[in-house]
Amino acid sequence: MTDTWPYLDVHQSRTHEPTPYEHKLAATLEEVFTEEGHELADVVRGLTSRQVHAADGTPWTEESFRAEMNRLGA
Amino acid sequence: MTLSTSATADHIYATGLRNQWHAVVPSHFVAPGAMRKVTVLGEQWLLFRRSDGTLSMLADRCPHRGAPLSLGKHLGDRVACWYHGVEVETDGTVSSVPGLPGCSLEGKKLVTSLPVREVAGAILAYFGDEEHPEPAALTLPEPLTDPEVSAFLCYAEWNVPWRYAVENLLDPMHGAFLHHESHTMSDGDTTAKFRIRETARGYFFEKTDQRGVNFDWVELCRTGVDWVDLSIPYPPSAGPGGPFGIVGMACPVDEQRTGVFFWRYRRVEDWQRASWRFLYRTLIEKRHWDVLEQDRVMLESMPVDADQQENLYQHDLGVVRLRRLYRAAAEAQSSAGA
Ligand code: FES
Ligand SMILES: [Fe+2]
Repeated sequence: MTDTWPYLDVHQSRTHEPTPYEHKLAATLEEVFTEEGHELADVVRGLTSRQVHAADGTPWTEESFRAEMNRLGA
Repeated sequence: MTLSTSATADHIYATGLRNQWHAVVPSHFVAPGAMRKVTVLGEQWLLFRRSDGTLSMLADRCPHRGAPLSLGKHLGDRVACWYHGVEVETDGTVSSVPGLPGCSLEGKKLVTSLPVREVAGAILAYFGDEEHPEPAALTLPEPLTDPEVSAFLCYAEWNVPWRYAVENLLDPMHGAFLHHESHTMSDGDTTAKFRIRETARGYFFEKTDQRGVNFDWVELCRTGVDWVDLSIPYPPSAGPGGPFGIVGMACPVDEQRTGVFFWRYRRVEDWQRASWRFLYRTLIEKRHWDVLEQDRVMLESMPVDADQQENLYQHDLGVVRLRRLYRAAAEAQSSAGA
């Protein structure tokens, strides 16, 4: 923790630099929210049709997406 | 005591109001077992945290000959001044004078110790003057205590008088101009009529003809701590959950410097909450930051006599009201001891 004035830090909410997987998931999620809708089913469909899968390569289900968001957004 | 009732109204207006709570710095600025020197209301203070997390705040002035305690040594439950070793407990009591054991300073409470609370990631302290040492009742902003609301704190330090930072928040119309190229404020009319609506805890300054499009309203709340509440729509890319809100506070550091606290909050639950938090950390926080930088650049560029040579119009009623309120409070506090 620095004592020098001024404290100007863009990122104050992160615990780590996002991984390439997290970056891609976030960017695609924004696109899906914009183009497909805001329901969980829209999200799963939108990610799948864009070939953006879970970290282990499997296609998203509502349950797996929810679990992953709870992990990344805790 | 460092906060004196004999301070002039001008000094109080310039360095911040007394007899209320102010946000000081984010909690994580003071690690367990650490100390940190901070300037607030133009005075020097020491934040001191025990290893168990307990926080205290002392005037940064040794009761012996005035050396900064912040240069001293953290002894777990007290601080030892570097100059002649006098030890001060976290409530301001001198526990030992090593050079002269039994000295009459021992056991006396000679250092001001401020009441502190930690709230939503920030340290709040009560700055009473010598006539008002007991903390004022504090009602916390409900967005920071409501479990259905999720919030992130953004803290920044600006080279501006504290009033400029607050006035900027009571000036919603700048959203449609200064932040026109931002991710959230490109929509809405660039002309508006405003009104002031008094509330039990402060006042709303709001557009009469548009809501939910841009930065269309703000509420000033004086609940033991001064804060503002406002709401701004998100684009669809932010996902479900509606607009985001801001709880804002300003820490008067000294005449020219201010610490600003912005909690961006959203009323969201379950996977919607988690996905917003994920997007916020990964992509949205940077965009919010860019908007805040527009405010900082503008405010830091304002001439020092900006508020002496103005030609105000109807959109500035919220600012005028704010100045009148703060000026009156400064006058009242300066004569409180007379
Ligand atoms: S000034 Fe602190 S011990 Fe003397
Ligand atoms: Fe702004």
